[in-house]
This record gives sequence, C-alpha cells and structure tokens, in this order.
Amino acid sequence: MSLEHAQLLLSVLREPEVARSLTLSQWETLIRTARRANLLSRIALELERRELLSHVPEGPRAHFEAARVLANAQAAAVRREVGFVARALRDTGLPVVLLKGAAYLIAGLSPARGRMFSDVDILVPAERLSEVEGRLMLHGWSSAKTNAYDQRYYRQWMHELPPLKHNSRQTVLDVHHAILPTTARLKPDSRKLLAAATAVPGEPQLRVLAPIDMVLHSATHLFCNEDVGNGLRDLVDLDCLLREFGAEAGFWPKLAVRAAELDLSRPLYYALRYADRVLATPIPPEVARAAEVGRPPSWLRRLMDMLFLRSFQPTTSRAGLASIARLSLYVRAHWLRMPPLLLAHHLTVKAFRRGEETAG
Amino acid sequence: MQPPSPLRWRSVPAHAIALREWDGECVVRNEATGNSHLLGPLAGRVLGILLGAGESLGADEIAARLEAAAPDTEASDGPGAIEAVLAEFRRLGLAESEST
Amino acid sequence: MILRELSSRALKSLLANCGVRIRTGPIVTRIRSRCGPLVEGLALHYADYTVEDDAGFADFNVAIVRPGGPRRWLRPQIAFEFDGATPFFPLPADQAFAMLEWGLNWCVHFHCHQYLIVHAAVVEQGGLALLLPGPPGSGKSTLCAALVHRGWRLLSDELALLDFGTRRAVPLPRPVSLKNASIEVIRRFAPDAVLNAPVHDTAKGAVAHMRPPAESVRRAAETARPRWIVLPRYQSGATEQLRPLSKATTFMNLADQAFNYDVHGRRGFEFLADVVSESDCFEFEYGDLDRAVVRLSALARQG
Repeated sequence: MSLEHAQLLLSVLREPEVARSLTLSQWETLIRTARRANLLSRIALELERRELLSHVPEGPRAHFEAARVLANAQAAAVRREVGFVARALRDTGLPVVLLKGAAYLIAGLSPARGRMFSDVDILVPAERLSEVEGRLMLHGWSSAKTNAYDQRYYRQWMHELPPLKHNSRQTVLDVHHAILPTTARLKPDSRKLLAAATAVPGEPQLRVLAPIDMVLHSATHLFCNEDVGNGLRDLVDLDCLLREFGAEAGFWPKLAVRAAELDLSRPLYYALRYADRVLATPIPPEVARAAEVGRPPSWLRRLMDMLFLRSFQPTTSRAGLASIARLSLYVRAHWLRMPPLLLAHHLTVKAFRRGEETAG
Repeated sequence: MQPPSPLRWRSVPAHAIALREWDGECVVRNEATGNSHLLGPLAGRVLGILLGAGESLGADEIAARLEAAAPDTEASDGPGAIEAVLAEFRRLGLAESEST
Repeated sequence: MILRELSSRALKSLLANCGVRIRTGPIVTRIRSRCGPLVEGLALHYADYTVEDDAGFADFNVAIVRPGGPRRWLRPQIAFEFDGATPFFPLPADQAFAMLEWGLNWCVHFHCHQYLIVHAAVVEQGGLALLLPGPPGSGKSTLCAALVHRGWRLLSDELALLDFGTRRAVPLPRPVSLKNASIEVIRRFAPDAVLNAPVHDTAKGAVAHMRPPAESVRRAAETARPRWIVLPRYQSGATEQLRPLSKATTFMNLADQAFNYDVHGRRGFEFLADVVSESDCFEFEYGDLDRAVVRLSALARQG
C-alpha cells in the first residue's frame, strides 16, 4: 500500500468535492483504502450529504450504498443499546455518562455520521463500579473475558471492567471508571470529568462529557492507546469535534487550560499537531502556542512523527499482529444483533475466522 | 376462574411496529428491540387491539374488544389465554404492564 | 474476453502479477495468486467467465498467497487475502480453490448490503425464480446442482441477491460447492457435469466444485422474479413431499436465512414480506434426488 493511496483518501476526506473527478481506478483504490481505515461509510454519508452520490459511477456507488445502509443500521442498534443500558441502571440514580461513539451519536455530533460502532462505552465513578456491574449482570450482561488472568489484569491495572457482553443481544459494553489505566503516567481526574458532564436534550438519564473534555478524551484515546488500527478514523473524529466545537464561544481559549488541569497537555499537543498536518484542521495560532506546553523533547517528537504519521496511513500490509488487530476491529465493527445461529450458518467463517480469537 | 388482573397493558408505540398478516398469522418487527416475531391468530389480534387503543387496557377489556370485533370466531380460551399472550409480549418487549 | 481464450501461460502470468478481473454477475473480483492448484481450479471452473480489463472497476481485490512464517517449510499452506489482510486461518495448499470460493462468498456476504442477501440456492425457468433457502446440510446445493442439469438456470447455489428496487433475484452464478456423498450423487445424476477432484480433510469433509453450465454464466445479466420459495430437507429414504407452508412461517425462515436482514431494518422487513406475499411457499422433504427434481420441475409447468 503506497503513500499515494493514503493521500487519495486524505484528499477526499479534506475535500469531498474531489469526488467529481476521480477515475474508476481511483474509486477502486479509495474504496479499498477507506474500508481498511474504517471510513468507507463516513465518506458515503459525506457524499450523500453534499449530493455528490449521483456523480459516482455505478460500480463504486454500490459500495457506498452498502456502507451507508450498514452505518445506519449500526446507529439504530447503538440507540437501542443505550436505551437498554439506561434502563438497566435506572435504579442506581446514576447518570449514564456516554463516551466516544455512543456519545457522538446521542448528542447528535458530526463524528457519528457514517460511523462504524463496535461497542458502547460509559464512565462511572470508581466507587460505584461494583454496584453498576451488579445491575448490569442482573439485566443480562456477563463478562466476556472469563480467563482469570484477564479478569485480574483489567480490574487491577486497567481503567475499565473487562468488556461485558449481553447474553442474548451479543452486544458489548465497556464500563470505564477512568479514561486512562491507573498505571499510566498521566493522571486525569475522572471526578472532574464526571462533574462537568453535560445533559443531553430529551434524555434525562444520559450525559456526555463537556465539549472540551470530549476533545481531550478523544486525543487521549488516540495517543495513549496501543491499538492504532483506527488511528486515522480517530483523528477524523478529533477533526470533526474541533471544527464543530471551535465555533462555540469559550472553547478555544479554555482548551489548553483544561488540558493542563487534567494532566493531558501532552495528548493535546499531539492532537493539534497531527490534526493540522494530516487533515488541515483550522486551529487558531494562539491555541497552538498555548498547547506547546505539552511538547515532548525533540527526539521523542521525531519518533512520534514517524510512528503516528505512518500509522495514519491505512496500510494494507501482509498479515501481522497489527493487521490482525485491525481486522478484528473491522470484523467486530459489523456489530449488530447477530444471534449465534447466524454465525453457525457460516461454517467457513466460524471455523476459520481469526478475528474472534484475538479480538478483545 | 381467576379474578381479573389489576394490570393494565400498553404496547410499544405504533410507529415502532411493522406488521404483516397472512391467513390469520402475522409477522411483526419491533423497532424498539430490533427483533422480529411470528404471532398466531390470537396474539396478532391482541397486538392489533393494543396498538389501536392509544391507552392502556386491562385483559378483560381486551377480551371484550376481541369479542366485539369478531363475534363469529371461535371463543378464545378466556382471559387466561389473553394473559398468557400479554406476558409473552412483555417478555419479548412488545408491551409493558402498569399496575392500576 | 472469455477466460478460456487466455493461454495457460498467459493466465498464470496475469494471476502472478496484476491479477485477473473476473465478472460474476454484478460483481467483478480481481484475483491474484501464484498457487498451482488455484490456477488449475480457476482455469477449469471459470473458463466461461468474462475477464474485464484493468481500466474498469473491481469490487473486490483478493489473493491466494503463501503465508509467511516458519511453517511454510513444513507443509505448503495458503491464505485468503482480502485487500491485504487475511481474515481466515491458512489451509493446506491443495484446498486453494475451495478457499477462494469460500472467500468470495465471504466478500459478498459481508459487503454487498445494497442487496438483501438470503442464504439460499436460486434457479430460474421461464423468467421465474425458485428460491431454496436453508442452512448448510439442508441439501440445497445438491438439489441446485441437479436442477441446473434438468432445464433450470443457475442464479446461485448459496447467495440469493435480491434487489430492493426491482424485487428481482440478481444472478451470481459461481461454481457449485458439493460435499461428501453429494459429490458422487451428482456425478451419477449428471455425467456431463464438470467437477474437479475432491479435496479431503477440509472442515466440511470432502469438497468438490461443479462448474456452472455455460448458459447460466452467459445469461448472468438476466434477473428473475421470485415465484416459489421451497424449504428443502433431505431425509434418506423419505418419499418426496411438497407441502404448502404458511407465509408467516416462510417469512420467519427467510429472515433467519437472510444474513443482512437486520441491516436493512424496517425496509428489509417490508421487502421480504412483499417477496413472500408474491410467492408460493412450500416445505419439501425428499430422499431421492431424481424424483425430487421431477417434483420441483412440475412447479414450473404449473406456472
């Protein structure tokens, strides 16, 4: 996979009007690259939104239609799932604070457009974790990782419970008590995030992180997470959030300040740097300057430039651990109510599919 | 005979339901759960009554409406059968009960 | 250009380099491989298929490759590669063609959501389609292989593509996969049928593929209106019985076999209900293939 392919994808992401002049060969490359980067349905919805789909030749258009249909189905499934989670936790009196994809969807934010969801993430106070887990289990969720080592690993070191899977719906729920593992160097205070969480119009039980916190969480997830398979997709999320919230008063001036308060200056620095370089996100110069406080030493920055900028190129390399991890997300991203019966119907897939073995 | 249940029943909102009927049986898709179901004649008619009601109904009211709508059809097994259908609806997420 | 027009050397060279773009119904797949058994299988089963030129659009890009790693020296293995990733574990090299076929099914199943896809065999006569939905083991592939040698055209042995706009079945004619006892049954039933040598020790037992009749491939652009839905069940020794099945029950079976039914939500529900409404629905138990084919073919005569 070449730099040229990655650049085609990036140019369409930055300026969808480019779609008017692509050759069939370029459409072919774009679709493959976008699919690998988990961005095919996003592009499909952007093309639809800008009324460009009629300019897409029939062959490629079918793929965008398929991706669009899939993304819409997933959005409906996430809404349903959020409803089930809220119902399960109603008696705790806790607000359900949504994170990431589910938050973007419920709050009507642009990163939700054309998103391929794989699970629902929520944030709860650390001291209520057992209670929440108990409630969820009463309502049909159980721990997906039964291995004792995995259980201990999650509970002792990680910032979330081992993933919960619903027994009949087969959907996955990640319950976080922090946005970074306890072992991480950075220590953002979850209580501050929870305290600032904002209400969702029309959904009294639900909350999402405050806009600045949402951006910082996205930056943290991207730059502190060893799984870079969705790197470009996550950067696109960041770009969307920055553009959308950037229009709100008070957002830019407070961004670097809040980052410092939450010990997240380093991820913010990277976020702004790479959003600018890869996606040309408009960032006010004074904000970029303020974020410099999070700049790493030059040698580290050069290393990160190399790693991240390469990881943002959606590669189609031969099978390696990284591409298996990416594919397990990719396969898992086809997340809908899939009863075990359907999986059993496809003997080949059940017998041979790697994704399930390595997926979380 | 059991005393009438104090529960009142309400189906999921009509806009969440897609329904098709052939020869007395029907298939239903519930947008609220994403699930699809096959309903026998009695269940299909009970659901139809709940969907059209616009308010919660007790089992005996449902029985009365069934009778009024189709007095020629073979008598259902009485409120017991209807209550069994309603309990199944609750399990499937097609209807909810509320105490009076 | 038709694939059989390529010399063996030209085919091998294309497959080893930029790949061969084969059209199967509405789908064009670019296939690359240097694996001997794969080249042979392709030359045999896809002889009648159209090869598209590089300037066109390929829906999928697949390869059958030798996986890296130390095992490559122990036993020759191959992996199915889709856009550079390998979704499945490697298999022994002699299963290369079977792996390609499974991989191509996976491509359609997981990506072609512009259609409602039902796990079913589809055959056509007089412009009308007979759908045979069923999980693996229901006997639909065997029935399908037999029917297409007795006057029916093959649309698909496994993936029924239903078009939302036209409500018609879209052909995706591909080699028919046969397992274990079915292989010999079909050889006897249709001595003219072209089958490759079975590969053994697959997860499904012995597997062979049957080349689709050339006419089915030639007429792949002709869609068909679903007219009969028959749920087959093979039962050794049983007398064939074609019993009407309630539309509601047929609907549930069809939805159960429609892998992307949930993806299409309400639209999928209404669509499948329309298809069922317009079709005659049956369940079919049979024990003898010849008599089964005769019984089903009688449906076409009734129109």
